[in-house]
Amino acid sequence: MVERRHRNSQRGRFPTTDNPSLREIISFIIGSDDSAFMLPSGWEVTTAVLLAIISVPVSLVLTRFFMQVNARRGIFGIDVHKLSKPRIPEMCGAAIPVTLILLSSIYVLIGGGNSIMMLAFSLVVGSAAVVGAVDDRLKMRGIYKPLLTLLCGLPIVALGLLFPNQVYNPTLQVPIFGSFHLPVIYPLSIPVAISVTSNTTNMLDPLNGTMAGGVSIISAALLIGVLITAPAPSAVFLYACLLFSALGFFYFNRYPSRAFAGNVGQLSVGAALGALAILSRTEIASIVAMFPNIQNSFFFLSKIKRFTEHRALTAKPTKLLDDGRLASSSDPKAPLTLVRTLLVGRPAKESEIVSTIFALFLVSAALALITMILIG
Amino acid sequence: MGLNHRAVALQLIIFVTQWGLMIIGFGILAAVVGPLRIQSDPSLGRYFDAAVKAMIALVLSISWLFIWDRQVRVYFYRKREDIAEPV
Repeated sequence: MVERRHRNSQRGRFPTTDNPSLREIISFIIGSDDSAFMLPSGWEVTTAVLLAIISVPVSLVLTRFFMQVNARRGIFGIDVHKLSKPRIPEMCGAAIPVTLILLSSIYVLIGGGNSIMMLAFSLVVGSAAVVGAVDDRLKMRGIYKPLLTLLCGLPIVALGLLFPNQVYNPTLQVPIFGSFHLPVIYPLSIPVAISVTSNTTNMLDPLNGTMAGGVSIISAALLIGVLITAPAPSAVFLYACLLFSALGFFYFNRYPSRAFAGNVGQLSVGAALGALAILSRTEIASIVAMFPNIQNSFFFLSKIKRFTEHRALTAKPTKLLDDGRLASSSDPKAPLTLVRTLLVGRPAKESEIVSTIFALFLVSAALALITMILIG
Repeated sequence: MGLNHRAVALQLIIFVTQWGLMIIGFGILAAVVGPLRIQSDPSLGRYFDAAVKAMIALVLSISWLFIWDRQVRVYFYRKREDIAEPV
């Protein structure tokens, strides 16, 4: 694993020259590796999980806070899949990146994990959240989100070049067939990976709770996989943190929603999944776990043939019937989204579609777990 | 809560097929494409090799998505040819 405990490294020391290198400055800022401040190794994984559980109340409180603040400021979204068209506070998903960054910082402060990895993760999640927040407020054109989220992957590449083998490992582990080394392609594909995961997560949140519930299932499966195969404390902590913070938000976001995630929540959670795939070396398992997202995005893009926002679509993939059920659109120009596919020839209630999507995530999560066991 | 069992069953078939194909694809990359040395030049040849291997991976990915596309259209949109016009 990438996990390292560099007890004799330069981390935490004052720069030794008048012109310290960037590496020395970062090493100084992110803290000490003095053994007196480090946790006993046998307790690292247990501590990581226990600390991550705090994410649930933190995320709950922050979501509640954003619900009140955003409602006061008039930041609402319309729940278009309900007959009454209720107004729901938007951008409450900001609670998840705030929780992730806050808990990661606390974890580093108590000396629990690889601080360079935590820094890379926090920068990716934070920058994706900023892109999402800007999009929520300014309603950017569809093409800007994938382009800007490409930049969100740069912290991993930059820190990986400054601290080789501490952030990512360019050897891809393949189930059954071993591994192969990608020294050139791997770093180049990191920004693409972050952009794809963040935008595909952003695209599969059309119904109440689908994003938060789906991400919870994905991160739970990958957490179990990491615990079974190679329980590096930092990877365990970050997956557990993502799981519990998503669950905290899910409490308010589940059907019928009382809070919407907004792009700020969707992009940052997707970026967190992408960053974790790279940092914890679960790349292939993460792709498998995200099969429902991949199917949704691929069919959307293959039909529409451009990056666009759902709000800009002239032909909607689903329609709301008079009895409150959802039905597949009969418009041939409408995109073949996952929700539309599940509704073909069989109108259904929103709650039923949400349950079906969760079942699909459970299938893909089980396949992801098998993939991790095959990798070993 | 209700569940669309037919859709879940069909998606299960699609996911398992795509999962198997993906492992075979990564297997081809790891066992066949990865060890290839197309250019022996130590500096630029390295980048040429990487570009060729990336192109092979891209072709495999497109084939993989094409099979996915066909499966969804056959299983879900077979009786609705107007909706399922090819991409």
